[in-house]
Amino acid sequence: MKTIVEARNVQKTYGARGNLFTALQHIDLTVAEGEFVGIMGPSGSGKSTLLNLLSTIDRPTSGEIEVDGVSILNMDEARMSAFRRDRLGFIFQDFNLLDTLTVRENIVLPLALARADLAELERRALEIAERFGIRDILDKYPYQISGGQKQRTAASRAIVAKPSLVLADEPTGALDSKSATDLLECLQELNMRERATILMVTHDPFAASYCSRVLFIKDGSVFTEVGRGETARPLFFKKIMDVLSVLGGGAPVGG
Amino acid sequence: MTPWDLAKKNMKGNARNYGIYFVSMLISVVIYFTFVSLQYNKDIEAGMASSQNLRTVFMGSSVVLALFAAVFIGYSNAFFTRNRKKEIGLYALLGVRRKTIGRMLLYENLILSALVLAAGIGLGTLLSKLFGMILVRLLGTGATTAVGFGLSLEAAANTIAVFALIVLATSLHSYRLIYKFPLIELFRADKKGEPAPRVSVWAALAAALLIAAGYIAALREIHTTEQFALNMGIALVCILLGTWLLFRAAVPALLAAWRRNKSRYYRGTAMIGVSQLLFRVRGHVRTFSMIALLSGITLGIFSIVYIQYYFAERSTAESRPFSYEHASVDPAFDEAVRNIIGADRDHPVVSHLSIPVVELDASLTNLRDIPIHYYSYAEPGKSVSILSASAYNEAAKALGRHETVRLASGEAAAIRPMLDDQTFAEYAGQSLELRIGDGKRALPFVALLEGRVLSWRFPDLFAVVDDGTWAELAKAAAPTVFEVYRVEGQEQAGATADRLSALAAGRDDARLNMFYAEYKRTQEESGLFLFIVGFLGLVFLAATGSMIYFKQMTEAHADIGRYAVLRKLGVSRRELRRTIAWQTLFVFVLPLAVGTAHGYVIMKVFTAGLVGMNFTIPILLSMGAYVAVYFVYYAVCVYSNDRILNPA
Repeated sequence: MKTIVEARNVQKTYGARGNLFTALQHIDLTVAEGEFVGIMGPSGSGKSTLLNLLSTIDRPTSGEIEVDGVSILNMDEARMSAFRRDRLGFIFQDFNLLDTLTVRENIVLPLALARADLAELERRALEIAERFGIRDILDKYPYQISGGQKQRTAASRAIVAKPSLVLADEPTGALDSKSATDLLECLQELNMRERATILMVTHDPFAASYCSRVLFIKDGSVFTEVGRGETARPLFFKKIMDVLSVLGGGAPVGG
Repeated sequence: MTPWDLAKKNMKGNARNYGIYFVSMLISVVIYFTFVSLQYNKDIEAGMASSQNLRTVFMGSSVVLALFAAVFIGYSNAFFTRNRKKEIGLYALLGVRRKTIGRMLLYENLILSALVLAAGIGLGTLLSKLFGMILVRLLGTGATTAVGFGLSLEAAANTIAVFALIVLATSLHSYRLIYKFPLIELFRADKKGEPAPRVSVWAALAAALLIAAGYIAALREIHTTEQFALNMGIALVCILLGTWLLFRAAVPALLAAWRRNKSRYYRGTAMIGVSQLLFRVRGHVRTFSMIALLSGITLGIFSIVYIQYYFAERSTAESRPFSYEHASVDPAFDEAVRNIIGADRDHPVVSHLSIPVVELDASLTNLRDIPIHYYSYAEPGKSVSILSASAYNEAAKALGRHETVRLASGEAAAIRPMLDDQTFAEYAGQSLELRIGDGKRALPFVALLEGRVLSWRFPDLFAVVDDGTWAELAKAAAPTVFEVYRVEGQEQAGATADRLSALAAGRDDARLNMFYAEYKRTQEESGLFLFIVGFLGLVFLAATGSMIYFKQMTEAHADIGRYAVLRKLGVSRRELRRTIAWQTLFVFVLPLAVGTAHGYVIMKVFTAGLVGMNFTIPILLSMGAYVAVYFVYYAVCVYSNDRILNPA
């Protein structure tokens, strides 16, 4: 199976000499195509740092990261932007929709930026809106729709250009439980049907239980890893809770 | 910590924020002080021929400047306070009493004003030297006038007094602001989502129609003062309304049309730019209209004055065709004049003529009855000047002109009055009737001559008749002989002109007219106006530029998040820079374009009397200068926007 993410011995330190803070050390991570991987850990464990490194927003101090077979470390700004645009899709905790654009425009933004064919662009917008159940609100503005609809719009935007990797940063963080469940089910379906590769950082064990594999990070290192295998979701959720209780510190009990 | 300490700390920590406010206040102070110190400058006053005139004009302008500074500082203060709402809210939340916060703001304002005044007066002293030199240069008085360099205490006192008042007013205003807003209001984030305005094509069309109607009304031919007032009233209302409606409806309609053109809209960053502009367009209506009108007025007036300055020499050459001209009164006087002019070796005489003119009382002619507008001034008692064809031709030749007149016996030609646009068609079929002795002669007009050979006088009624008729006339009424001289370099013949006017002092019958004196007078007058208008124009320009700049910076701060998202989604810095530059261009060009059109029409209206002159060069120069300075603001704005929205 094709490898989408390949991180080897990644290290990230902040600060100047004499006052160094190590955010990540000796991280090795491999994500295969079609995986839905969760990353969990208490506040300050380094999970967001890891996501930033993978999304090329930040650079590691040392180590090697390849996404979709391309080393992302030695790219200039223009190529990095193009890479983000073409290969990555983002879902943020606070949606990050552009309030000047309608839902439809928000969704097709990556395609427009890539100067995709107009007919193809409109077809994709409809297809995805259908999948996420937001077809009726395509011409509304973000301030006119609910948080759940916003996040589904953001998710639509993330996958519209068929990226190699979807990065989700606490996507359910700002949603009520009903909206969160809807979104997670959509993501799961996307992962299963279209074999989209998703990497999700979350605090929430309930959200993590939708993943196929969950990585636990503590103090900048990988603590352990739990695979779902053929277990049912409620059982997997229990397994995650068990790890968290050992891990300790800052993980809320959600669900 | 006392409010005083807090104020000092705030200013140190927030130097950048204060920077914009500081600079805008500084600009006002520098401009005002420069202007006022010119007003008090003894050297400039002494160098001017019409000192009283200068003083009045300067005084009026400084009042306008002070008012303007007040509005401008008020605007920047409002902007600045608005930006600090959150900070004020935080203090209130921490339990600082409103009274204390108010005092803190007052102290800040005082410290800032003191700094601004000190810096402004310092800079203004340097600048007033520079502007003084420009003024002297414009007045054409030559390098003889030295402009003093010292600090003008009177000007400093005046400036401090005016700005103390303004600062007091703005401080009171921001003091009130703290009491007005409930705490929650202070914390509320910037307005969310101004929905795109509903677009009405009809309103857009109405805007275009109103502006067109305004222009037509302004440019319509007029014959009476009442008509002029009515037209201007209609034009003013139409243009004001039209401009507002244009930005309210037509611009959104344009952007919406763009949005509907999907193949162009869904292409690269076009979507970002257009939607951003649409999102902001409602909040821009007032600023845009104001800027368009302000720059229209500035540009129009500046062009008018510049055109006048530019043509000062030409119009002088028209009203004073010869370098020196006087009526021959007695041989001794004529001799004295000839000697003075001859003694001026630097300006040798090119030609010297004697032009005999019969000055006939208008009641002896039919000019009052001729239905050509200008001749309605031919009241009884006013004289009509009649030249012979040969005298006219001789003078025209001496002036280096090619226009000559050939009259058969019993024919007449008219000379076109200054600043009039008569054509021969109006004269065709008319004739000049003269009463000579007991007989009456009707001389049909056969030509309209454009070049005048004698100085302008009132009433400006000149006619040329054939030599035979003229000789008869001269027998009946003794002609006045005008001695005219043409010299080289007449623009510099100041010394001779002074000597001649001393000689002719008290001798009104000599009717002395000199090119130099008139040239200097028009140059001084139009130069002075050019200077003042230029100066005020600069202030308006600075104000409009800063207004857009402030607005852009406020919006940029509100847009930071949006642009950060775009960067995350993979829009490269170059693409972002391009869309920022494009959006900023739209915001700058739109009001400028409308303003330029308005300015052009204003200029047209008020220069309609200057017939037959080609304005292209002065218009291009004055508008070019305006646009150039305006675009400096644009460049600065793009740079600042880019730094805020597109950090490395």
